[in-house]
Amino acid sequence: MSAAWSVEQVASVAPSASAMSAAQPLATPSRWSQLGVAGTSVWGSFQGSGTEPYDTIADHSRLGFSCSCLSRQTPCKHALALLLLWVRGQVADTVTPSHVEAWLQRRRAASSRAMAAADNEAGEPSGGGSAPGKPDATDGSSATVDGAVIVDEQPPPAPPPDRDATRNDRVVRMHAGLAELDRWLDDRIRTGLADSSLARYATWDQLAARLVDAQAGSLANRVRRLAGLVGASTNWHDDVLAELGILHLLAQAGRRIEVLPSSLADAVATTVGWQVRQADVIAGVPDTDEWMIAGRSDVREDRIEVRRHWLRGVNSGRWALALSFAAYQQSLDTSLPVGSSLHADLHRYPGPALRALVGTRYHDPAIHPNVAAQFAASACSIADGCAEVGVLLASEPWLDRVPVTVHARLARTGRAWALADHTGSMPILAPDTRAFDAGVAMLLAVSEGKPVDLTVEWTPHGVIPLSIHLPDRTVDVGPRANTTFVSAA
Amino acid sequence: MTTESMQEHWEQLMTVAMLGTDRRNPPTPPGPLADLVADTARSSASERMLAQVAACTAVRRAGVVPGPVLDEIAMPDTDARPTCIPAAIERWHYITESWPILEDEWTLTLISNGWRIAPELLPAMLLRHRSDAIRRTRVMVGAGDAGRWLVGHLPDLEPRHSAVSVTPEALHSLPKLPIAPELAEMLDWPGAKVGTMLAQSIQTGSLGHSHKPMLVNLVARIHQEALTNLVDVLTGIDPMATGHGLATVLVDLASTRQRMLSELMR
Repeated sequence: MSAAWSVEQVASVAPSASAMSAAQPLATPSRWSQLGVAGTSVWGSFQGSGTEPYDTIADHSRLGFSCSCLSRQTPCKHALALLLLWVRGQVADTVTPSHVEAWLQRRRAASSRAMAAADNEAGEPSGGGSAPGKPDATDGSSATVDGAVIVDEQPPPAPPPDRDATRNDRVVRMHAGLAELDRWLDDRIRTGLADSSLARYATWDQLAARLVDAQAGSLANRVRRLAGLVGASTNWHDDVLAELGILHLLAQAGRRIEVLPSSLADAVATTVGWQVRQADVIAGVPDTDEWMIAGRSDVREDRIEVRRHWLRGVNSGRWALALSFAAYQQSLDTSLPVGSSLHADLHRYPGPALRALVGTRYHDPAIHPNVAAQFAASACSIADGCAEVGVLLASEPWLDRVPVTVHARLARTGRAWALADHTGSMPILAPDTRAFDAGVAMLLAVSEGKPVDLTVEWTPHGVIPLSIHLPDRTVDVGPRANTTFVSAA
Repeated sequence: MTTESMQEHWEQLMTVAMLGTDRRNPPTPPGPLADLVADTARSSASERMLAQVAACTAVRRAGVVPGPVLDEIAMPDTDARPTCIPAAIERWHYITESWPILEDEWTLTLISNGWRIAPELLPAMLLRHRSDAIRRTRVMVGAGDAGRWLVGHLPDLEPRHSAVSVTPEALHSLPKLPIAPELAEMLDWPGAKVGTMLAQSIQTGSLGHSHKPMLVNLVARIHQEALTNLVDVLTGIDPMATGHGLATVLVDLASTRQRMLSELMR
């Protein structure tokens, strides 16, 4: 067996990010039968919703895929899921079955024909293009990538759509998805939150799946998070209603995106799930500053661990968010240690977004003697912190995490904990009822009840302590990923 | 429109949302909210309700205000001892992950050298030793009043069993580790001699992986002065030699212990 790819390599052959998202839940050995790998081919039968399983084959060396599903995408989500299983070492070496061998032979024959045609074409005068009747590398049934011939058995052999047509198709699908979301919200409001269907995960999961199909992946994640709120606290109806309101706001805004001011339209598009290529973001004007790495938090979203690094510009005072993602047994970004500072170019996503990519780094992150003073200078009172959060939420009410650095002490409200000072208090988000609140324990131990400078993440349900800025060091107390799932030093 | 009237309106929306607009009509929005959601295109009760919920949520979130001023919590008594240095904090994390055999010595050295356990280690240490009376008592001694205070606030950190009396001897002495008699005599040898003997035995194969537990115990208890020479000799073993892997493991243990003791010096 040749060396397995990384998950990133699988993602790189996916036709879209949503295809990859759709593939992740299918990459479970229990849903597959007759899995096997030999040489450069991987195969298996996926039991979908139909009576007959889909027979899926992938050639990971010469990049080719075959699947009996009806998807028009190549590779389809089943082929991507199969590759993910192989990458994770969940496909055993075995003897190539006859149908896989036959497929490989057809590929070899097609490859030979394509190479012969290319040789013939190379001998002809330039400018003639491909001759009628000859196989063409761009005819949809055969193409080349880095010199390797890709033969695709997937119908139809249509020419690749141009970018505008693809974009228009995505817009149409997204509009349809948002209209469906609004109808779904309308149904929930008509039948009421006491309706027992809300307690069934399928109610939310089916909607999320349809939003993924509609290219609104971020909204799909939001719906899945919302499902987790049902029954999670005594006042969960309140939390769910507010979030339904935000979804309605986004569905309405997304459907009218053409008439929104450009900055707001960008913010809505990003929040709904419109994919922006990293290359396009990096090509934008950089926001250069000395960036204090103020806090970090890890959160599991579906089957992906998401790490948020909150950075604050020393000169601009502006916040930025650097995200990293890791699937099972991958590594999260450890290059931004909390409490250090970094002179770098940040490239922000379109709109007023906090999210940014770290571009050129002018030096490695370092802990300077004046970093503590800079954190102290950026810390504000609880009242000012609320105002700072309010300003960001006024421009983007759908933000569900907003960073703020405050100077405050721990206080109690009954059994719950809060941050407090002379101007008021902010409740701290209580963890799962059975979980030990490591963040509060660390905050209590390090502060010993005295006021400290700390960076927190505001959420609609309470703040999450991320880091405590002491005169001689910063203590990272943010929620940390489970190291049995991902590597998260 | 005040925070109170917005809250009152939200509660009315909640009531309707629970029952559903099939059973009850949405309330009339107050003040500016009425203008915000006024839209002739919104024909159904559920559409008007959703518009109100969205607007009300956006206003409430953007208008986030502080909660009431809360009383301060009592602070623990001050502790004159300095807290251990950051390198010692990192070392504790490494030791508990890789060489837990050294943890007792880390805690006892910290206490005897007059350090205080760094506060950020306390929750992890207390959680780790909830069921071990001796180690937990050592942590409480190293933490001072802050340990008692912290446990008082966080019941999750309380011991699993009722109070067990710990003798001063058990509290202040390292637990005995099983070491074979022929190795035990090396405990008093100079480092170079121990190192040479171990290196020869490892290279000739008379000490192999099956002896690793005993060798680990030996290195964990050998005189501090012997560690440097031991590391030097074992590091010199030919990488191609049998037993190089075992030597590498022992070098890591010896150098970890050496650094640990040096970080806890005063």
